[in-house]
Amino acid sequence: MTSFYARWAALIVIALILSGLTYQHYQQNLASVTPEWIVKNNSSPTPSIRLEGMVKSGSLSGNLDEGQAEFQLVGDSANVAVHYNGSPPENLRELKTLIVVGQWDPAQQVFRAREIVLVTNYGFVVSAYLVAMIPLILLVFSMSRKVTSLFQVIKESKLYEPQAEFHVDSR
Amino acid sequence: MSLLPSINRFIRHIQRFKGWFGGAAALCLITGMYLGLITSPPDYYQGEIVRIMYVHVPLAHTALFGYTVLFVGSLWYLWKRDPLIDNMCHAAAGMSAAFTAVALVTGSIWAKPTWNTWWTWDPKLVSFAVLLMILAGYLMLRTMVEDPEQEGRYAAVLAIVGGLDLPIIYFAAEWWRTLHQPLSISLRGVSISGDILLPLSIMSIGFTLLFTYMLMIRTQMLYLVNLFDAKKGRLLSQVHLSKVGQ
Amino acid sequence: MTFLKVIQWVVWKDLITEIRSRETLSSMLFFAMIVILVFSFSFSMDQDAVRELIAGIIWVAFAFTGIIGLGKSFTVELHNDCLEYLQLSPAPKGAIYLGKMTANLLFMLTVEILLFPLFVLFFNLDVVEEIGLLLLIFFLATLGLSAVGTLFSALTVQIRAREVMLPVLLLPLAVPVMIAAVEATRGALNGAPLSLYSQWLELLIIFNVIFTVASFWLFELILDS
Repeated sequence: MTSFYARWAALIVIALILSGLTYQHYQQNLASVTPEWIVKNNSSPTPSIRLEGMVKSGSLSGNLDEGQAEFQLVGDSANVAVHYNGSPPENLRELKTLIVVGQWDPAQQVFRAREIVLVTNYGFVVSAYLVAMIPLILLVFSMSRKVTSLFQVIKESKLYEPQAEFHVDSR
Repeated sequence: MSLLPSINRFIRHIQRFKGWFGGAAALCLITGMYLGLITSPPDYYQGEIVRIMYVHVPLAHTALFGYTVLFVGSLWYLWKRDPLIDNMCHAAAGMSAAFTAVALVTGSIWAKPTWNTWWTWDPKLVSFAVLLMILAGYLMLRTMVEDPEQEGRYAAVLAIVGGLDLPIIYFAAEWWRTLHQPLSISLRGVSISGDILLPLSIMSIGFTLLFTYMLMIRTQMLYLVNLFDAKKGRLLSQVHLSKVGQ
Repeated sequence: MTFLKVIQWVVWKDLITEIRSRETLSSMLFFAMIVILVFSFSFSMDQDAVRELIAGIIWVAFAFTGIIGLGKSFTVELHNDCLEYLQLSPAPKGAIYLGKMTANLLFMLTVEILLFPLFVLFFNLDVVEEIGLLLLIFFLATLGLSAVGTLFSALTVQIRAREVMLPVLLLPLAVPVMIAAVEATRGALNGAPLSLYSQWLELLIIFNVIFTVASFWLFELILDS
């Protein structure tokens, strides 16, 4: 039984490492910042980041069909001016919460965005994967444990040794 | 020499290699999740939520694959009356029920952000709920019969009637209410891009391998439990066991 | 004994038992009346709601009543070991199945025909024009219930917890029958043109053919000691 548990412990460690890597990937590529964070760090230019906020009512202007737009993105207590330049945006409307991808330009005090994406609740995706994998893996674990222990019991009680044969004709 | 006894021996031989199935399943699932969660593009309409598809659709396919195994196994059991096949059917029903339940829950989680409801009465959902009920009835029936031979026979009859019923249930439910998105993988042509198809098929293969692996473990478990019980109560089960050696 | 003779004798045996004891029919009837009463208490319905809901109410009442009748069909055979005589009898098992199925169909149809006027009375239904069609729907759907139900009645009577297991096994399998019966009945009661719901009648016929044939063959495996 010890080798059985050791094998499963190794599997759990591997699973934890993989989920840690996934979480790191999420933090690096998919986490977003708020307008407050931009206002606090507004002296330095940033690498490409994702900024989440709501389009301020009455601030949207520019030529949407050619992919040019200027608007204010509002957070809880701060707002940031955004200049968007990219493919014509589909989801850009006033009072809509969305994520803009781009860089902060401290000289002009403006966020230069090149992509607009919808806000996603990753809780649904993560919970779907967890709900799928955890019960199945627990099932595999409990069944394998039962098989291992049954082997042991059968071995100990020497059930595999042949016993007196009596033959019954089946139909 | 007829084909069936050799298939029968094949099952027993292949059991030795079940670890390889588990490993292959894990490899496919990890690769599929990497492709599905990280490299595949977000959907135009659903955004990132579409990534639930890579786990939900393969699970549903695998649940149906499990019922197919159960159906064919039941016919085979009624023909050959081999207790090992009976154990395999029992295992297939349990595992298929587990996959169906998980597929229903992941589908529900997918439905909430896309359709803004946890549950709709749509044909696929109805069919899967009925499938789960049939499998639950099957597993309950298994516990209600004393004689193992009678148990196997009755369970096989239920599985066959249920298997004949499932397409009718699906069509009835589809006529009854149709608001589901149409089948995304159709035979008429690829309506779905390769970026999506690749992780989807890898996950499908992975879950099918996982199902096979679980089926093997559970068949072995049920077989050992039966063997153990049988050897404990030597008198009653001699008749049943004597058929194993044939 | 020829095949048809066996069917005839099984039906005759069930009918004569029923006429002498009046057990099954009376329990089915009273149960169904209670269901109707409970439904009329549970929903306070105006005429529009009745038109929407009545088909479902009718079929819920009929299905649960039918399950009582189907369950009784084989539990009565337990007395005096009649079931074992059926198992041992040299008569073809398929013929016993068809006989039992016909007897169940007759009981269920009798109860349905006795109950339907009560629905008409209590819920103010307008059925004069469509009565023939309604009877056809009742017949087809009851045949479907009886075809699968007789098989599972014979199955559950030989296991533990038989009263629970019959509905647990039967109702999921009878989902298509229920959907088709409710939709067709609703169509007929609302006076819709036949072409709108004839597909449900086709579905019922397909279901009946498949499951009568399948149960006919599988019954031998059930009634086998």
